[in-house]
Amino acid sequence: MDDLMKDRMDQLLDHIMKKCLWQFHSRSWDRKVQNEGVLSKATQLLCGEPVDTSTPLAKCHWVDALCLVNDYKRRFAWVSQLKPDEIKEIMQALHERLDHLTITGSLNLELNDQHY
Amino acid sequence: MPYHEFKCSTCIPERKNHAVIKGPGEDLTMALPAGYLSTIPGTISERGCAYCGAKHVIGSPMKDVIHLSHGPVGCTYDTWQTKRYISDNDNFQLKYTFASDMKEKHVVFGAEKLLKSNIIEAFKAFPNIKRMTIYQTCASALIGDDLNAIAQEVMDEMPEVDIFVCNSPGFAGPSQSGGHHKINIAWINQKVGTIEPKITGDYVINYVGEYNIQGDQEVMCDFFKRMGIQVLSTFTGNGSYDDLRAMHKAQLNVLECARSAEYICNELRVRYGIPRLDIDGFGFEPLANSLRKVGLFFGIEDRAEAIIAEETARWKPELDWYKERLKGKKVCLWPGGSKLWHWAHVIHDEMGLDVVSVYTKFGHQGDMEKGISRCEEGALAIDDPNELEGLEAMEMLKPDIILTGKRPGEVAKKIRVPYLNAHAYHNGPWKGWEGWVRFARDIYNAIYSPIHKLTLLDIAADEIATDTTFETQVMLSDAALSEETRNAADLRQFTGQFDGLKSLRGKTYPEFEAKTAGAA
Repeated sequence: MDDLMKDRMDQLLDHIMKKCLWQFHSRSWDRKVQNEGVLSKATQLLCGEPVDTSTPLAKCHWVDALCLVNDYKRRFAWVSQLKPDEIKEIMQALHERLDHLTITGSLNLELNDQHY
Repeated sequence: MPYHEFKCSTCIPERKNHAVIKGPGEDLTMALPAGYLSTIPGTISERGCAYCGAKHVIGSPMKDVIHLSHGPVGCTYDTWQTKRYISDNDNFQLKYTFASDMKEKHVVFGAEKLLKSNIIEAFKAFPNIKRMTIYQTCASALIGDDLNAIAQEVMDEMPEVDIFVCNSPGFAGPSQSGGHHKINIAWINQKVGTIEPKITGDYVINYVGEYNIQGDQEVMCDFFKRMGIQVLSTFTGNGSYDDLRAMHKAQLNVLECARSAEYICNELRVRYGIPRLDIDGFGFEPLANSLRKVGLFFGIEDRAEAIIAEETARWKPELDWYKERLKGKKVCLWPGGSKLWHWAHVIHDEMGLDVVSVYTKFGHQGDMEKGISRCEEGALAIDDPNELEGLEAMEMLKPDIILTGKRPGEVAKKIRVPYLNAHAYHNGPWKGWEGWVRFARDIYNAIYSPIHKLTLLDIAADEIATDTTFETQVMLSDAALSEETRNAADLRQFTGQFDGLKSLRGKTYPEFEAKTAGAA
């Protein structure tokens, strides 16, 4: 990933960390489900691909993803100029970085508590 | 992100793990304050106990319930009336508090008989109230009184009543947050699913983690009703006991305060398949996004958009009047748990305030993750500060205002720092578009009150000017503004109602065509 894409990924990440709550569920397994669910649907929306909303959980992820994508398009004009393969590359990097911040690299000692 | 050691706490080295300064370019994996740990001996915490967290914060906002503490009268007295969780049934739960009034002799001989007689006496004193919650306290827990057995005896003898037992004595957790957890789990285990509700619409939600402080819940429910959504229950502000027994029938849990109520949302998801949607009810943009998300979930986003457009047009000129005058003012954002992250970014974005510190008395590391992510670089994040640390932080950061609870708030006043009560509010409700402007107005009034200049004068020692007249807030706030801003025709001060709730109670709502044949 070049510096430009890295800089753009940081902008997308900063927006999530500042404006969203879905990535901060209280347990690591929930955070994995949330990050995967919302970001995969956001990628599909950005690429114009169909999105599954057949279950209540999938619908919640779609709702958060749609709001995220609309914010991205409104705040970052360059988002609408990206090609599908560029979108997938940047969203993949975003997903890995978000997982690191909120799950694998997190210092939150309650993440692996076995109970809610 | 370096950990921060307070000078006053060098004798308590463990405290260094509880404070962090958010540095430029640093992230959450580099440092995070410790949290939700037992208070370190030697540091005088300002926390509440687990009983308080269960009874005062979560249980008591339920409106049609006798809330009875089984223990010394002090426990119930100290958790009475200090939070303004009002209700639309004449504030029954605020007007009265009940205790079994245990004494030393009961510790020796047991207090179960006393409890039973108190339960019956309370029901007889208020014959229209048929629901009760009983809260365990340290004293009754230590002697092993069986609250469940007594409650069941009474329910057998009085089949028209229903009783919920909350076993969360004061020592049952490091802070009030332990009590939040316990009552969440106890409620879903004991009561959810024990009643079948009447579903009146196509779109049914539980509104969770909302305590109706000065009417917040009623403001939010107004939006939901305008969208044609049935709010089946509110956990727990202005909430009804029987409605909360029917939480299992909602299609969506809309979660506001994740700190106090995510547990029941998570369990409702696991046990009943009801998804959880986290929202921010404070601030124009977060609230708009919240209504938009709920609307999208049900496919009625057009109804949300209509409300957003109407409310934003009505209130934006007033919010911007305050923003012009609050820009750059430094704030210590020191509430309890969730408001540190509900407000950390949006008071900066929409009111122009600079958050120089966030703290939580009882929050978990998850709350700090959210709060630190949302506040600006350079902010000092503190977990469970003691009074001296609070004073040292204020001396270091020199805030223009702190948003906090009454205990640290009164300390701040002593060093002439204005404070607003972030728990019970000054002049709420603060949710909704109007509420958010009302909050900005309260901040403005606090920062620019002429009294703060006067309190710095010592009439016995200082020279008091006699050639100047009085000062007003506008004179103080507008002195540094440009002529153009001062006279901007499109900006204006708050014009909302003193008591907006009157118009909400009894309000009629539009009827939408039913989507399903089964819906009324």
